[in-house]
Amino acid sequence: MSKRFYYGNERESYSAARVRALEALLIEKGIIGSETVDKVLDYFETEMGPFNGAKLVARAWVDPEFKARLLADTTAAIAEMDFPTGMAGAEGENMAVVENTEGVHNVIVCTLCSCYPWPVLGLPPYWFKDPTFRARTVREPRAVLKEFGFPLEESTEVRVWDSSAQIRWFVLPERPKGTEGMSEEELAAHITPEAMMGVARVEVKA
Amino acid sequence: MKLQHYLGGLQGLDPVDFEKRVFVEPWETRIFGIHVAMMALSQHLEEAQKTPTNFKDEWTWASLRKGAEAMNPFDYFKYRYYEKWLGGISGFFIQEGYITENELDEMIELYSKNMENPLPAASNPEIDSQIIHYLRTGDSPYRDIDRVNHFALGQEVKVKNNLVIDHTRLPGYLREKTGIIDLIYDGNFTYFCSTGPDGLGEPMPVYRVRFDPKEIWGELAESNIAVYADLFEAYLDNA
Repeated sequence: MSKRFYYGNERESYSAARVRALEALLIEKGIIGSETVDKVLDYFETEMGPFNGAKLVARAWVDPEFKARLLADTTAAIAEMDFPTGMAGAEGENMAVVENTEGVHNVIVCTLCSCYPWPVLGLPPYWFKDPTFRARTVREPRAVLKEFGFPLEESTEVRVWDSSAQIRWFVLPERPKGTEGMSEEELAAHITPEAMMGVARVEVKA
Repeated sequence: MKLQHYLGGLQGLDPVDFEKRVFVEPWETRIFGIHVAMMALSQHLEEAQKTPTNFKDEWTWASLRKGAEAMNPFDYFKYRYYEKWLGGISGFFIQEGYITENELDEMIELYSKNMENPLPAASNPEIDSQIIHYLRTGDSPYRDIDRVNHFALGQEVKVKNNLVIDHTRLPGYLREKTGIIDLIYDGNFTYFCSTGPDGLGEPMPVYRVRFDPKEIWGELAESNIAVYADLFEAYLDNA
């Protein structure tokens, strides 16, 4: 029998040793430094992450003029925010936003790989990278969203955005009802990467 | 023909695994970090050429994508996202002669016995600052040069079915389908490498094209849906 579909017992421990061995050799050979990988990871903890996107969405909800600018020229509007340097950096060189409204729902997918707007959303969660999500969303987005616990009315148009070229898309979700008194900061705390990719609504528990 | 290019629309799959974590095993963070370092040290970047590293190749998204597209399609589904990265990236360093398979095996053996073995201590602040510089400035494919758009807003276009050698940015499910130009992006966009007869590499316009799912999926389409894709001009023809 072919071993094609066989995973060894040491699937994870072997990968863990292999990546550590590779990193050690790359340091030994002067390709990277001993702190290089930690620096990269720290950057995504502190500077590029979904915490930026959440602030953008909250600002757009409370400031209609900002929202208009964000939709018209995403990069320029992001530059207005008090964010870390580099919001037009890696995987954010060309970004665009689409707005969810009562009649229109947007969902972002990358059927060829896993294109994602790093500066404002950080790194893509596993569901976004999953070949099943990528395969199914372009044909049956309603079925996929329903599985995610987000069934949509038939009357709501679903727009699927396949990031196949150089533009990194994200979604401006709908502001939940009953949040009129909340501050930008309180709003931002409820905004998830899933909502900003269009597979979840923003939930605010009363 | 590569299954990886025809993922969109594939039927018979399971429910989606709604795993919200970015990394599901701690080791995955390390291969991600190595990949970012390679992109930042890629020798097509001027600053990387001035950085004291022994990395002497180009490494871009195209390199990683080509690797994933070259995989046996069953392995593509078998392995998790970062398992594919680990396989592709370690294979690259062996193939290009930076390390040997024996060296890697011996080192794996060493760490398998004791994962607490420290990494070699050799700080390289100049490499680290180039990494941060790259993350902050990126590597934009945008080129603000004169161009001629061959297609107009609202025009009906037909997607070509160019020959793919090893890499494409044209999803298979859109090939030979008809759509409407919904937006013409400003400027031109290059790609990291030439994709040969597939058509990418030189600066060219990119269009947002809207497709009616009935045109793509026929009666298998859900109702009240629109599919949008950003397509390079090389992929489009008059309808």
